[in-house]
Amino acid sequence: MSAAFTLYDYVLSGNCYKIRLFASLLAMPYQSVAIDFYPGYEHRSERMLSLNPAGTLPVMVTSAGGQVLTETNAMLAWMALHDGGAQTPWFPAVDPALGPQVQQGLAFGAGLTDSIGLARLHAMLDWPVDGEAAKRAGLKHLRALELHLTDRQIDGGLWWAGAHPTIADLACFPYVALSPDAGLEHDGFPAIRRWLYAVRSLPGFATMPGIHPLHELR
Amino acid sequence: MTWRPVGLTRDVPAGRVMRAWVDGQDAVVWRSTRGVLSAWDNRCPHRGMALSHGFVRGEDLACLYHGWHYGAEGGVCSLIPSHPDLTPPDTIKTRAFQSAESDGVIWVRLEGSPDLAPPAIAPGLDPLRSFEIRAREGDIAHGAAAKPFEPAILSLLFNPIAHDRTLVTVLIDAQATSDQRKLASRWCEDVRREVEA
Ligand SMILES: N[C@@H](CCC(=O)N[C@@H](CS)C(=O)NCC(=O)O)C(=O)O
Ligand code: FES
Repeated sequence: MSAAFTLYDYVLSGNCYKIRLFASLLAMPYQSVAIDFYPGYEHRSERMLSLNPAGTLPVMVTSAGGQVLTETNAMLAWMALHDGGAQTPWFPAVDPALGPQVQQGLAFGAGLTDSIGLARLHAMLDWPVDGEAAKRAGLKHLRALELHLTDRQIDGGLWWAGAHPTIADLACFPYVALSPDAGLEHDGFPAIRRWLYAVRSLPGFATMPGIHPLHELR
Repeated sequence: MTWRPVGLTRDVPAGRVMRAWVDGQDAVVWRSTRGVLSAWDNRCPHRGMALSHGFVRGEDLACLYHGWHYGAEGGVCSLIPSHPDLTPPDTIKTRAFQSAESDGVIWVRLEGSPDLAPPAIAPGLDPLRSFEIRAREGDIAHGAAAKPFEPAILSLLFNPIAHDRTLVTVLIDAQATSDQRKLASRWCEDVRREVEA
């Protein structure tokens, strides 16, 4: 099968992992270009800036039509629609109940990059940001997610919205799973643990450094 | 020693592992595939890795680092993957604590007479959720009392997990509706915001 897109990728990036994970769940072939994010800062090279002036990873270039996408939420949406069209259970965009909920989760996922993601870059790569402030923001996000997932559990649900996992779950999964890298443990968050376990149990689940497979399922 | 409420039965289904704190002791609480609940010192006897990062393999808990297995019955080492032909001596074992479950709550204590059951919970309550507050038990109880929850009966259990951190387990009237449960869950957040401020 030919590649659906090209991914400019860095293995330790939680945002890049969202795309690799979803591609694995959908069994969607793609071509990967490894970028030396650290210590090379290659995402800020002339070549990469001309592709994505924001200087962030990942960057996706679709094979048909050559669309350049620089927002992971847009990439997830593209992949869902490319895979299943408007009927895809991963992105019920026009469902009056679920569509807005999924948008809520996508935006929440972006907020995780700016809080937990930043705290993690600070802890792991000594990124020049206020690590404590990022960590406090990260804790707030974990608490908000725990509340949301507790609501879902009270309603008999497991996923961010509806009866099927959506791109909202995938937008949120990496930085929540990686939060211990930033010193934010999952101990006090039983609903989050249950949801993390559910995502890790999905057929076709892929790992990244810091996110282990469920050995017991093997 | 006192029985401490460390979480909800619902939150540790078969095959799952959780970390807990019991009177300052770091503990791993886990349930085997067949449903046996155990609470142990959260230290792998091999090299000290936290066993709460481990994974359940049938009736054993396997350490994430080098995969040593410890059996649900007694915590004795049953397998050392790098020496598959060796039968590990019974002396390689974890420190096991007492664990019990009643009314959907998991209780652990470090030691004490085996026939003393955990405290009974008032009848007619369902576990709602457990969550952490960065404050002491007394301040939380005070904050909660100042903000009575009107829609349904609630009951709170406390487990001190550090000098300024407490795990709170909340139970709610079993007759409560889903909407009342969600309101109660928000009330937990309100109390935390108030007490931590
Ligand atoms: N808005 C982008 C943000 C992506 C992002 O922040 N990526 C990080 C790596 S995980 C990055 O490239 N940071 C670049 C930098 O801070 O120099 C998205 O959601 O895709
Ligand atoms: S530290 Fe647990 S097996 Fe080595």
